[in-house]
Amino acid sequence: MLIQFAIKNFLRQGLRSILNVLITAITIVTVIFNLSLLNGFQARATLNMVKTDVAGGHYRIAGFDLLSPTEWEDHTGLVPDSLKALPEDQKAETLILQGQIFPNNRLYPVQMRGVGPGQELLDLPLQGLKRFPEKITDQIPVVIGTKMAERTHLKQGDSVVLKWRDKFGAVDARDILVVDVVKLLNPRVDEGMVWLRLDHLQDMARREGEVSWVAVELFQGPVPDMEFHSVDDLMKDLLILLKNDRRNSIILWIILMFLAGISVFNTQILNVFKRQKEIGTLLALGVESKQVVRIFTWEGAVTAGISVVVAGLIAVPLFMWFQTVGLDVSHLEESTIPVRDAIFLEFNPFEIFYSITVVVALTILVAWLPVRKISHMDPTLALRGKAIT
Amino acid sequence: MLELKQVSKTYRVGNQDFPALKNISLTIEENAFMSFVGPSGSGKTTLLNLMGGLDRPTSGQVLFDGAQLESMNRSELAQIRKQHIGFIFQSHNLLPVYSVYENVLFPLLLNHLKEQDARERVMALVEKVGLTEQANKKPAELSGGQCQRVAIARALIKRPKLVLADEPTANLDTENSFRILELMQDLNEQYGAAFVFSTHDQRVTQFINREVRLEDGAVLWDKAKNGNGELE
Repeated sequence: MLIQFAIKNFLRQGLRSILNVLITAITIVTVIFNLSLLNGFQARATLNMVKTDVAGGHYRIAGFDLLSPTEWEDHTGLVPDSLKALPEDQKAETLILQGQIFPNNRLYPVQMRGVGPGQELLDLPLQGLKRFPEKITDQIPVVIGTKMAERTHLKQGDSVVLKWRDKFGAVDARDILVVDVVKLLNPRVDEGMVWLRLDHLQDMARREGEVSWVAVELFQGPVPDMEFHSVDDLMKDLLILLKNDRRNSIILWIILMFLAGISVFNTQILNVFKRQKEIGTLLALGVESKQVVRIFTWEGAVTAGISVVVAGLIAVPLFMWFQTVGLDVSHLEESTIPVRDAIFLEFNPFEIFYSITVVVALTILVAWLPVRKISHMDPTLALRGKAIT
Repeated sequence: MLELKQVSKTYRVGNQDFPALKNISLTIEENAFMSFVGPSGSGKTTLLNLMGGLDRPTSGQVLFDGAQLESMNRSELAQIRKQHIGFIFQSHNLLPVYSVYENVLFPLLLNHLKEQDARERVMALVEKVGLTEQANKKPAELSGGQCQRVAIARALIKRPKLVLADEPTANLDTENSFRILELMQDLNEQYGAAFVFSTHDQRVTQFINREVRLEDGAVLWDKAKNGNGELE
């Protein structure tokens, strides 16, 4: 009976009810959209990292540190047999050395990264290198990313001098030929990087069979002279960045909740004020004050319940449409976040359930807060509309 | 049925006390059809509120079937009102979201009756107050007199021992006032509930059996009708 009464009162409020429902529904949709977009962003960023660089982890030559370029040459080594034996779709041998190119007569330090042309583990568009023989003939074929091309003003077919140091300290220099400018999903493997065939780079540096690391699909157990770096370890900085993003989204979430809460709270304050006589009548009829509080709180709950339904009606077509277009994040090209393509929503049922539950609970709470005073209301004053002035 | 013993009520406003009722002692019999008359501020409404358990006396006792209302908590008072006391207000105070039928049904639902069990009873009373055709209308669609008749039906549906009516005819024209008073008189005889009005409407006098005049919170006279229909 109390619920029925609450529903009828909810409907009586007309436009105010509609606005409350809309604000709460939009809050629910926005919260879910925001969280799902963040999930999509994180999923895409980590996927791109895994696909283009990290794979299932790296077996690195002991002491190798990507952030210490001056020591790269000191930490190369032969690939142990246990890793060498892995098929091409489960490993990617990688050699990393320092180099310098001179586009437009300017020095540009680069990371020379050689990967086996036959590797199938990493999703790198290096097909352009495959057609060249194992032995370097005239020019050294390289592939660069679009970002690198933009920075150095190099384009497909251009030649430029590359200088490097071989294993014995001798400085070598030769022309490289940009056989392809490719779009890499991960800016971290684009800017400042020259991609070569592994055999070419090993040959250039007189480091036959040597690598800096071997990316693997799965952990293969301890390997002598190599250190295993897990996915989490390799993506530590990215994960911290994403965690910060999540923190920012919580702030947005709190602001949205606050707005929705204020709206319901105001309506309830107005309700209690405007309906004092009705409250007095209910008390005179023998309704206990706690039951009156329950009626008014139910009205808030009805708002929350209908908002969930309306949120569903808004969200389903909106999200379906969004999944066809995605969110363009090409502006992130300037950042080190490994996302360049559009991102899509990634739904987490627990998060959706949790968000809806919190919004509903908060709506009921803010509906209850202002009506608590009914329980202390003097019925004789309420009947005259003077209990709250 | 209802007894007031040395009841006083004082309101405190700021640092000053304002006595609203002074040492009122009254007994209301079952089947009573009586009124409190007096000018505004004489304490009529305060007295009704105390009798209905909506307010508590500053001193004295209010006994309803021997139970002391002033010592009951809010929940116990609500139970008494829910089961035994019907209220009729000057401005009818109907629940605006409910239809006539639902407004009359409401007290029965509060007393845990199921609608299907109460439907006939509600419709019979709605018919009695002449509103069968308006049963599905909302209060906003009714006239003042019709609303007051709904309020009467709502007050009586639970068959209370006592009906308290605060200025029930104040907002009605003469014709409607008479119709309402006749209806209440009829229902008083039929259902046996005691009716107590507060009023300063002289038209009420011809219908009631007893009149208590209040002035400045005290009983000035308490007269009952004699065999000739005169108050003495």
